[in-house]
Amino acid sequence: MDLRYSEQQEILKKSARDFLTKECPKAKVRELENDAKGYDPALWQKMGELGWLGFNIPEDYEGMGYSFEDLAMHIEEVGKNILPGPYISTVVNTFAIVEAGTEEQKKDLLPKISNGNCILTLAWLEDNGLFDASGITLKAVHKGNDYVLNGTKMFVDGAHVANNMIVVARTKDGSGEDGITLFLIDAKAAGIKTEVIPTIALDHLCEVVFKDVAVPAKDVLGKVDKGWPILQMLIRKGSILKSAESFGGLQAVFEMTVAYAKERVQYDRPIGAFQALQHKMSDMWITLGTSKYLLYEAAWKESEGEPNSKEASMTKAYINEAYKLITALGVKLHGGIGTSSDHDVPLYYRRAKAADTAYGSTDYHRELVAQQIGMK
Amino acid sequence: MDFRLTEEQVARRKEIYKVCEELEKKKPKSYVGFESQFDNEEGWAFHRYCAKEFAKRGWLALGWPKEYGGTGTMMDKVLLAEARGYYDLPGSDIFGVSMLAPTLLAAGSEEIKREFLPKIASAEVMFCELWSEPNAGSDLAGMTSTAVRKGDEFIVNGQKTWNTGAHYADWGFGVYKSDPNGKKHHNLTFILNNMKDKGVTVRGIPYMNGSHVYNEVYLDDVDMSAKYIVGQENEGWAVVNVLAGFERSNMDMVYGLVKAQEEFVNFCNETKRHGKPLSQDPMVRNKIAEFACSIEAVRTLAYRVADQQNRNEMGLMDAASVKVFASELLEKFGQIATDLLGPYGQVKHSKWAKLNGSAEYNYQACFVPIVSMGTNEIQRNIIAWYGLGLPRMK
Ligand SMILES: Cc1cc2nc3c(=O)[nH]c(=O)nc-3n(C[C@H](O)[C@H](O)[C@H](O)COP(=O)(O)OP(=O)(O)OC[C@H]3O[C@@H](n4cnc5c(N)ncnc54)[C@H](O)[C@@H]3O)c2cc1C
Ligand SMILES: Cc1cc2nc3c(=O)[nH]c(=O)nc-3n(C[C@H](O)[C@H](O)[C@H](O)COP(=O)(O)OP(=O)(O)OC[C@H]3O[C@@H](n4cnc5c(N)ncnc54)[C@H](O)[C@@H]3O)c2cc1C
Repeated sequence: MDLRYSEQQEILKKSARDFLTKECPKAKVRELENDAKGYDPALWQKMGELGWLGFNIPEDYEGMGYSFEDLAMHIEEVGKNILPGPYISTVVNTFAIVEAGTEEQKKDLLPKISNGNCILTLAWLEDNGLFDASGITLKAVHKGNDYVLNGTKMFVDGAHVANNMIVVARTKDGSGEDGITLFLIDAKAAGIKTEVIPTIALDHLCEVVFKDVAVPAKDVLGKVDKGWPILQMLIRKGSILKSAESFGGLQAVFEMTVAYAKERVQYDRPIGAFQALQHKMSDMWITLGTSKYLLYEAAWKESEGEPNSKEASMTKAYINEAYKLITALGVKLHGGIGTSSDHDVPLYYRRAKAADTAYGSTDYHRELVAQQIGMK
Repeated sequence: MDFRLTEEQVARRKEIYKVCEELEKKKPKSYVGFESQFDNEEGWAFHRYCAKEFAKRGWLALGWPKEYGGTGTMMDKVLLAEARGYYDLPGSDIFGVSMLAPTLLAAGSEEIKREFLPKIASAEVMFCELWSEPNAGSDLAGMTSTAVRKGDEFIVNGQKTWNTGAHYADWGFGVYKSDPNGKKHHNLTFILNNMKDKGVTVRGIPYMNGSHVYNEVYLDDVDMSAKYIVGQENEGWAVVNVLAGFERSNMDMVYGLVKAQEEFVNFCNETKRHGKPLSQDPMVRNKIAEFACSIEAVRTLAYRVADQQNRNEMGLMDAASVKVFASELLEKFGQIATDLLGPYGQVKHSKWAKLNGSAEYNYQACFVPIVSMGTNEIQRNIIAWYGLGLPRMK
């Protein structure tokens, strides 16, 4: 057992930190919230050059082939800084191609993703807002050599700028896990209409309407009707990586808050001298510690190929709440300035709410936990 | 990171669990929760029996240097705490094994180490802690009981309180004001004494659930030998701090929660309400799952503490976090479990009780870990001052 970041991981983290501090200051974060694209294409290019988009892509496909745990640590830094745009979703969605794609799909897309030339998003949720299989109703009907897609997807990350999209569709009547198929399609295909939804983190989640979108049968990802286990894999890995991002964010707010408490003077002393605030900061620290090793246990198991769906759901359910708790305390301990959009803490507070629904809400993951701790 | 135990540790864990599983079968019926060894003769006899079983395997000297009879590693100690927690077993004297032994190893004279370490390792001698006083709790240094030196003896007078297990303990370790004119923190001496010494009177204080866990200890002209001083005369505060530094991993408390969760899940599966198992109630599922997430979170952090201790790092801030989080989780569980049992949540261990009365037990016993060993508020101070570098209260 060794529950420390390795030296190499510390280097990895530091280089991510240095890069983002320079390339993505908070002024840029704010600017991108109200930008039509919602991400910075030049920055995306640089990330591609650094290999950030190919961390989890095998070297044979021009990727870096890093371990999942390394990836989680890298994303922790991303979350600490905040990086607007569909970065984490592209990285997570890439796993579907790596693990379930045909050789042709891999050769076609993985090098492009890795080099920063392809944004890949996932069209999963619908207007029913459900995370389980019953929420999937978008129809894909087999016609000749094509499947024809009709329906609407919601909360699709960066669909308006994506090059490719994984669409989760029903290919069989029913509402269960069987009969769900994934399609790997061109995000600009005829019949697709996207619109950005105004969300709390201004993070450019989209409504995507599919009207008679014809998809060649070769663009099925994995097997027809058997797409749910692939989506489950994405939810599992996405839960861990999204939690890593949140864990980075909650650390940033914790550090800012403690630093502010040491320098802000009221009643002739730093407010950090007031026990009412000290104990809240201690609680933040306790929450941070409990989050950290839960997260890295799940990430480590993922790296080792050990079963970890329970730990992944525990991590997501726990860190969802931890992030909201810590950022809310962060706002309150900053007093008036903490409530202003000019201040950095609310940037994280809003993202905590956004992160909480990505890859499954707290209640969704608690239900998965209940199933896996033996609740009949 | 690497969360894996070595093959050797896995084998050790298996061995320890096996021994504990066997011991659990011998647990008396009256033994309901983690403080039950102090409550009655049967409980104390079971404690001594388990201690002997551990002692003969060398498990009360885990991680000590070989020259003092040490066996195994710090990690083995953690594994034993884990298994004891899971099976709710006594047998490892918190005062002797967990607190005093490492203190003696760090600060004791050669003579005192040679006299007491073997007796702790063999479970021959059980200790109690004589620290708190009616007017000196969190602010321990404000104590007033006195130790006046007369040649090779100290004459000790005063009153100690909340002394867990003092009614069964063979020896005690205490701190007393030995220099009436000395500066705060340089006026105390740390001394061991035999609880059978003349002038020592132990009087029980009932815990809220009626059990006999702790006591008041009156000291009237008790002769304590100067050879039983730990550390230097008048420098007992430094020893107190050394001892307080030997935070335990609290793995026993964490695994008590793991077991409580398992038992509760079984209960929900087997109990029907309106013709449906309780486990199918979405609210119940959500609550128990939330609890399970928190347990796993603190379990992983407790392992981080163990990992640090195994590396001879203290990990004090993380240990304080585990203590606060796990004890407050126990409090929350006591509340959730008694709520979900409905009217049965109030039933004590008896033929009517569900879950052997453990929910009702935890509802009350949770304050033991919350208040003792430095209250949770004091732990939060420690984190704020020493961990986060916030200004210290004057
Ligand atoms: C939405 C909004 C509207 C407002 N409208 C007005 C207005 O119309 N007119 C106006 O004059 N002002 C207004 N204010 C200012 C408001 O009164 C102050 O923000 C408030 O008094 C706190 O002061 P501060 O922001 O300087 O925070 P600080 O006083 O610096 O407090 C920072 C943190 O320290 C804590 N703290 C400070 N002292 C202590 C202590 N002794 N013990 C424990 N904790 C302590 C605070 O609770 C807070 O958590 C407004 C503020 C907001 C957010
Ligand atoms: C079950 C149990 C077993 C115990 N076993 C032993 C034993 O074996 N030997 C022994 O010597 N003692 C033992 N104790 C005593 C224990 O160490 C004390 O109860 C504890 O240190 C608190 O002291 P107190 O009870 O005097 O409370 P006080 O110190 O009076 O505290 C009262 C309240 O004030 C808070 N408080 C005090 N100071 C501060 C501060 N600076 N900042 C914020 N809050 C503060 C406390 O957290 C608490 O909430 C035991 C206690 C219990 C409950």
